Formats: sequence, C-alpha cells, structure tokens
Amino acid sequence: MSMSLGEQLKRRKPIVFRQHHHEGEELARNLTTFQLMMFGVGATVGTGIFFVLSESVPEAGPAVIISFLIAGLAAGLSALCYAELASAIPVSGSTYSYAYHAMGELVAVIIAGCVLLEYGVATAAVAVGWSGYFNELLDSTIGVQIPQALSTSFIAGPGEDPTGGLLNLPAVVLVFMCMFLLLRGATESAKINSIMVVIKLGVLLLFVVIGLTAWNGSHFDNFFGAGIAGVTAAAGTIFFSFIGLDAVATAGEEVKDPQRSLPRAIIGALIIVTTVYVLVALAGIAAKEAGWFETEEAQSAGLSQILNDITGTTIWGTVLAAGAVISIFSVTLVTLYGQTRILFAIGRDGLISRKFTKVDAKTMAPNFNTIVVAIVVALIAGFVPSDYLWDTVSIGTLVAFSVVALGVLVLRRTHADLERPFRIPGYPVTPLLTIAACVWILIGLPMTTWVIFLAWLAIVMAFYLAYGRRNATLNTYVDPEEIAEPRGKEDQ
Amino acid sequence: MTILLAFSPHQDDTGAVELACQLARSNNDSVHAVTVVPQAWPTAVAGDTDRDFKLWAQEEGEWSASAARDVLAEHPDIVSEASWCAGRSVPQALLDRAAELDAGLIVVGSGDEGPHGKVFLTSKTDRLLHSSGVPVAIAPQGYWSGPTGRVTRATLGFRGDDATWSLLDRAAEICRRVDASMRLVTYAVRGRTMRPNTVSGAEEMVHQQWIRQATAELKEAVEHLHSLGFTDDQVSSEVAVGTSWGRAMDRLEWHRGDVLVVGSSSTSSLLQRVFLGSSAAKIVRNSPVPVLVVP
Repeated sequence: MSMSLGEQLKRRKPIVFRQHHHEGEELARNLTTFQLMMFGVGATVGTGIFFVLSESVPEAGPAVIISFLIAGLAAGLSALCYAELASAIPVSGSTYSYAYHAMGELVAVIIAGCVLLEYGVATAAVAVGWSGYFNELLDSTIGVQIPQALSTSFIAGPGEDPTGGLLNLPAVVLVFMCMFLLLRGATESAKINSIMVVIKLGVLLLFVVIGLTAWNGSHFDNFFGAGIAGVTAAAGTIFFSFIGLDAVATAGEEVKDPQRSLPRAIIGALIIVTTVYVLVALAGIAAKEAGWFETEEAQSAGLSQILNDITGTTIWGTVLAAGAVISIFSVTLVTLYGQTRILFAIGRDGLISRKFTKVDAKTMAPNFNTIVVAIVVALIAGFVPSDYLWDTVSIGTLVAFSVVALGVLVLRRTHADLERPFRIPGYPVTPLLTIAACVWILIGLPMTTWVIFLAWLAIVMAFYLAYGRRNATLNTYVDPEEIAEPRGKEDQ
Repeated sequence: MTILLAFSPHQDDTGAVELACQLARSNNDSVHAVTVVPQAWPTAVAGDTDRDFKLWAQEEGEWSASAARDVLAEHPDIVSEASWCAGRSVPQALLDRAAELDAGLIVVGSGDEGPHGKVFLTSKTDRLLHSSGVPVAIAPQGYWSGPTGRVTRATLGFRGDDATWSLLDRAAEICRRVDASMRLVTYAVRGRTMRPNTVSGAEEMVHQQWIRQATAELKEAVEHLHSLGFTDDQVSSEVAVGTSWGRAMDRLEWHRGDVLVVGSSSTSSLLQRVFLGSSAAKIVRNSPVPVLVVP
C-alpha cells in the first residue's frame, strides 16, 4: 500500500456519475411542496413520541415542553443543512455517502458509526417501544399478557431494580417479521405511508383531546425545577423523535423548484411535528404529574395508561395502543430497510465485507445483508432496555447532523462552484447555528451515553484499521465505473 | 420423439398446432393431436340414461380428431396423427395420454381469452404446469410460424443460481439438437422504493449492483456454452432492464423462430414437476413468443 494512513484518512471519494444504461426509464416526479411536507411529517411522527415522555419528563419536569422546542429547532436546522448537501452531491446513500465525498474517509467512517446508531439502534428502540404497546393491546382486548420474563430484558435500566425479565420477545418477533417482509421484497408505498400518517396523527390527537380534559394546572408548578441542565438533557433524549425530518431532504430531487419548496416543506413539516409533540407533552403533563412518568406503569405503553386512567375505561387506551401497534410496525420496517441500504452503500465502498452488497437472484434484494442486520437488531431489541437505546440513537444522529452542517461549510469552500439546486438560506449563520444547537444538546447528554458512544466509535475505527483500510474500493479501482454513482433518481 | 398437441376444436386460435409443427420440424419429431371429451360416469346408471351423452361424447371426439387431421394436413411435411380420449379432467387426461404415447413434450395454446400475441395461462394450462413431468410448450394467442417455420433461437432466463445452471445445460442440449442459437437473458426489474425513503436512491443502488452481478454471471455462462461447442454466432447475452417485468421483456428484440425457455421453480424441484416460480410466471405472461417450460 503506497498511500500513508494520513493520506488515506483524508482522501475523498471522487464524484463520478454512472452513464445511463437505460434511457427513458426515469419517471418524471413532481412532488408538490405540500406532498413533500406531509412526507416529512409521515417520516418523523411516530419514531419516538409514543414512548419518549416516560424518558424525558423525569429529566426536565414540565419544562420538557421547552426541550421539545429546542430539539425541534436543532432538527429543523440540521434538515436544512442536509438538504443543501444532498442537492450538491446527488448520490445515493445517506449522511455517510455525503461525508465520504465531501470530507474524506476518516469522517465517513465516523459517520458510518453514527448512522448505524441512527438506524440500527433506532430500529431496536422502536421495536422495544412497540412491544409495550402490543402487550397493552393484548391485555385490554383479550385479557392476556406476555409474562414479564418474556417481555422485558434481563438488564435493568440505570439505577433500577432487577427486571425479572429474560428477553423482550415481542420486540424480537417484530424485527424478524419485518425481516421476512423485506426478504420477500416488500416495500411501503406512498399510499400506505399516507394511511400510517393518518393513523398516527389520529391517535395522537385523540390523546391530546382526552388528555386536555383532565387539565390540572398544578402539574405545571415548579416549571423549571429541573434547571437548564435537565431541559437540555431531555432535549437530547427527545431529539430521537425528530429523526426522519431529513427524509424530506433526500426527496429533494423529486420537487420542481427545490430552492423554494425544500425549506418550505422542511419548515412546514417541522412546525406540524413540533406542534403535535408539544400538544402531546402538554396533555400528558396536564393529566399526570411529572413524578408519574418515572413509575413502572408509565414505562410501557405510557400514553395508553394515561387515557385509561383519565376515562376510567380501557376503550380509548386500546384505540391508541392499536394505532401505535400498527404505525410503529411500519416505522420499524422503514428503519430496518434504511439500515440495510446504508450497509449496502458502505459495502459498495469496500469498508465492510462486500457480502453486504450481494443481491439475491430471486428477490433482487440484498438478502444476506438483511438477515445480518435483523439478527443484530433483534439481539439489541431483545436484551437492551430502552433507557440505554434512546440516548445512544440521539448521540449518533446529533454527531452525524453536526458533521453535515460542517460539510456544508467545508464544501462551500472546497467546491465553491459546484452546482447546488438548493442553497441554505442565511449562510454561514444557519450551518453555524446548527452546529451550535447540536453541540449544546450533545453536551447535555449523560456521561454513560458518551462512554457508550466513544466505545462504539473506537470499535468502528479498529474495524476500519483492521479491515476497511485494506479493502476500500478506492484502493484498487481502475475503472471510474466501479465507483460511479447512479445518476439522479430513477425510483418507481 | 412424439409431441402431444392438446387440440381444442372449438377455438379459432390454431397457435398450438403451429407451434407443435414448428417444434416437430426443428427436431424431426411427430405430432399427435389429442382432444379430451367429457367422460360419462364409470358406473352403470339405472336405465342407461346417459347413453345419449356417451354417444354424443364419442361423436364429438371423432369429429375433433378429424378436425385436427384437417388442420395438421396444412403441414404435410410433419408426420402426424390425431385421436381423442375421454376424461374427467382435461389436464389429467392429457398427462395420462402423454404417458401412454411416451410423449416428450406437450404443446398447448393460450385459449381465446388472452390478449393477441401474448401467452395466456388458462386454468387448465396452469394445472398442467403444476403436474407435468415433461416439458410443456405454450403458444401465444394467434401464433403463426408458417409452413417452413423452425426454432432458430432459444432465449433462456438466466439468473446464476444452481437451478438455472442445470437448466442451462438441458437447454443447451436441446439447442444443439435442433441447431438453434442461444440467448441468455437476466432480468433486472427495479424494486419499488420504500416510502418514506430515508436513504436516497436506495433501490437504484441495489439495482445497479444486481446488473453488475448479473453481467458477471452471464459472462461465465457464455464461456460455459463456448466450452460446450457453441460458437460466438450461436450465443449472445443481455441484461433486460425495466421498471416492470413487462417493460423488461419489451426491451428485448424478438424474431420469428424465437422460443423462450423458462425453468420450473426451484422450490418444487424435489417433486420433479413443472411448477412456475413467481418470476417465471411473470416472464411467461409477458412473453410475445412461444414459451417452453422445462421441469
């Protein structure tokens, strides 16, 4: 290997586009701003709001509402930065691919580690949350509950008593169900996505309406009791529930006038999502005092419990649980899918085994990849309690988003003349503000989370030095076609 | 070898006859047309009330056989025969008759319901495909090969797994015998993207990789055919790309004398029966040329 490690860590993947093999295949796609906005709402709502209150209210108290606003602001700014990077480097993949092109191999590897948390751990976290609602639904409809031993991990959360559990079986089963769907080539269509949006928003509004009827102003006393540290810590946890807003940026190529539509769609989606979240938090705190969210009862299917307690019947709690079970299922499917495709992109670059890019002849999908991802995610979902998961996802995503904002700054300097269908408004303040917001929330995250995160990055780097460094496609490619990216979107 | 032609006298479409003669001409085979008529009850019926029915069935059978002879007479170069048999189920009766005649191939038409020029699987054909131990050829609706038509090229769906490798050898053997060239095609049908697509261009990425993989596999298969004695003129390969099976098929060029060969589903190979896999079924339905389904 003639290249020094330093050079290799800094080298960027050249932007080469593949020549078209099949002209006339593109489907003209003209999403309207409104459609794009609803797309963002659909991708975002539901990742965390069904479970995040029981994690964040104990941290911030009633001021969790402010935490929601902070997290929303950071997510919105990040999405704008994301949109510029995605439009300047229209390659397939995610933050990882943009980083490889804009900032070199080292940053790409770090981002790869972050993105694995953003998707892989997020899938596990969502599956664990689903398990709680599923159990609640079983209990309130047929009066059966999956025993504690099979619905809770044996690992206790920080500072908690032993759980009496063994593994979270429903979460594991959910992950494998999604895996089978993906192996069979299942996809979630735009139509199903719309139905899911309606279900999610419907049950959340139901919660808000009923929750507000039980308004108790005294629950808001001592609003800032947890202090600013509590508020930022909660914002860190909550950040997770805004993941998905960046999906708007990836769909940027599908709108006619990205410069105008993208910011409107991102900001519109952000306003809708934040409003829904704040209303849910408001209704939750109005109905239950902050201390309740720490109890065992609040930990699984918390929103359903609140409705049951307010109305005195299980009807509305059941409706909410049913809505959650259906919509979280689809969220799990989409995140699991996202994870497999990111590993696909990394495998294509040779930084992990190329087996991850092997496409099955029958299903024309990466089956090996899907199975490996599902097994790892199922293990995490089955054995790690949600307390450790949310913050880990948030830290990965926040770091990734900070790097995206940094990427915008770097690329404007290194590739000033690159065509950018979307340029971020308020440059350079907006990306700087994004970095500031992300870093501020990052600082507020607990030490354990940082330890887990840094340990994970160390593993990723070690793997890179042992494997990726030697096997990177950039080491050996002779024909630019080998690293060429498919041009534009040709999706169906 | 005898080719069993499933003959249906009440249909205008003579595609199956044309195909049977074309295949017979290519391989010096004979054609045996069989019409299945309804069978009376096997047990005696009080008062012999179904006598008229039996007589009608017999007359119908004889009439059909003579109609088949008339149609086959248009291909005087082919040695042909026609007969009829009675059966409760047309596909089962055809299979039994094929076993009696030791037929190596069954030829059926697309019925009158399907679109003109395309292969249509009737319920009877479907059942036949599920249980036949010998290859089944299906003619597109309105197929015409001409008085001297022969099979000149076989297009084989190739995807590089064990099942298609073994199919490749069998198809190559047939092609050598009938002096036809081979075209290997891998289909690259792009999957639908997940909505919301959190990873941009995700399916395009997978799709391109599949094309790359398929091209490499095809190259290997072509080399294999060369080693079996096929010359460059006799072998070609292509990746058919499209957003649906129909579009991918439409992108291929088709000539008179083309036949499409598909294998049975690998999942049922244990049963040694012709059974179309989901991809094969889609390929067959979109085929503009006759299809040969090999178990």
